[in-house]
Amino acid sequence: MSSIVRHVLAAESAQGRPERDGLSPRRVVLVPGVLALLPEYAGLSDPVAELRAACLAAVSWLTGPVEIVADEQGRRVAEHLLVSTGSTTEGAGSTAEGAGSTAEGAGAEGDASYLVVANGSACRGEKAPGHLDERSFAFDAEIDKALRTPDGAALAGVDEALGAELWAGNVAGLRRLGGLLAGAGVPVVDYADDPFGVQYWVMRWTCES
Amino acid sequence: MTLKLGRHEFADDATLMMAIVNRTPDSFYDRGATWAEDKAFERVAHVVGQGAEMVDIGGIKAAPGAEIDAAEEKARVVDFVARVRESFPGLVISVDTWRASVGAAVCEAGADVLNDAWGGADPELADVAAAYDAAIVCTHTGGVAPRTRPYRIEYDDVVAAAIADTVAYAERAVAAGVSPASAIIDPAHDFGKNTFHSLELTRRLGEMVATGWPVLVSLSNKDFVGETLDLPVGERLTGTLAATAVCALAGARIYRVHEVVETRQVVDMVNTIAGRRLPARAIRGLQ
Repeated sequence: MSSIVRHVLAAESAQGRPERDGLSPRRVVLVPGVLALLPEYAGLSDPVAELRAACLAAVSWLTGPVEIVADEQGRRVAEHLLVSTGSTTEGAGSTAEGAGSTAEGAGAEGDASYLVVANGSACRGEKAPGHLDERSFAFDAEIDKALRTPDGAALAGVDEALGAELWAGNVAGLRRLGGLLAGAGVPVVDYADDPFGVQYWVMRWTCES
Repeated sequence: MTLKLGRHEFADDATLMMAIVNRTPDSFYDRGATWAEDKAFERVAHVVGQGAEMVDIGGIKAAPGAEIDAAEEKARVVDFVARVRESFPGLVISVDTWRASVGAAVCEAGADVLNDAWGGADPELADVAAAYDAAIVCTHTGGVAPRTRPYRIEYDDVVAAAIADTVAYAERAVAAGVSPASAIIDPAHDFGKNTFHSLELTRRLGEMVATGWPVLVSLSNKDFVGETLDLPVGERLTGTLAATAVCALAGARIYRVHEVVETRQVVDMVNTIAGRRLPARAIRGLQ
């Protein structure tokens, strides 16, 4: 299950930047649901410093109200990143959303910015959380290609069952991301790596539709 | 409490390794290994490399033995302190002495801390610490004379006695002009105490910590560890580290040690378990 929570980037509004309107390009960011990004799991040194910097850079690029597309843990990561970049939470409500909504067109998604929290497989090596599963590489490669093209239809069709077998993070969110990328150009890639045998992407898209 | 150790300051959650450096030919553990000045200097460089924040330089062994007068004690430590000061400006230099005259000389040479292991035997030592804005370690010895072994000493309550004496000493030092952030209390395991006393002080160290004065513990390879485990000097590291863990859990701040690396690991591990320190780097299960 994914959920949506509305946020407002209050700091940016306070700085006098124009509020989003229906004609503004939609901004979409993807970050991984890495719990090590959360302050409650901080150590003396940061094992994900490069990833954290990429996430913060991408999230700070979002404007206006931000809708989070994440599972329960991913939403905590998203909220932390938003707070870290100067946003405040508006309205506590979250809307449950099933995987069936992933094929929705962009027009149905409104004009908010979107922060999607999802990642690829966690089986990309002997020491990966889910141990080595050779199928991970093809699975992640297809998603990587779909993200970079971008190919929303391919993303919307990511195999959820296989994703579960490969310990992928929030495949429903990746499928939903496919719907959000209608009209999107080539993304800015802030990060794409698998430092712990888990495939992460940090990307940003501007969607003109 | 924030620690001010001479020219150095430490946050109120910092723990410090005070490495023992003997300028003696006859100390119980190293048996003269650093008697030669160059060997002692090598020891300083070694423990600094291991991460020790402090050294405790001593010119007289604690146990009874040949008389070492103030002139000889100064000859052993003063120039050495100056050499260490010049070479390691970031290092806290403590000198283990009970004599005010020696204290003044080493402070003049660059010492930051006067470690009065004999509990105020020379009452003017606190005045020296105040005059040089140095820190002072206020120990409990039960009133015995310097360099004497305990003999049939008993206490109604050894912890209460240690608290009363060390806190009184710290308050006296502050009244003499020592900064309140520069007075440290030390129950002084084995000094004026039998093994049962030292074990009880270890078990109840939290009561000393609760006074609010920063607590130093000197446990390293001492006889109470040896008697507890029936082990000679040289085989007491594990027991020392067990006692260290108990003191760390209670909140001791400074650890006077022979083995820096092992003690640092124990203190960091215990303080992290206690929630006072973050893990060095945590990613397991959090990827």
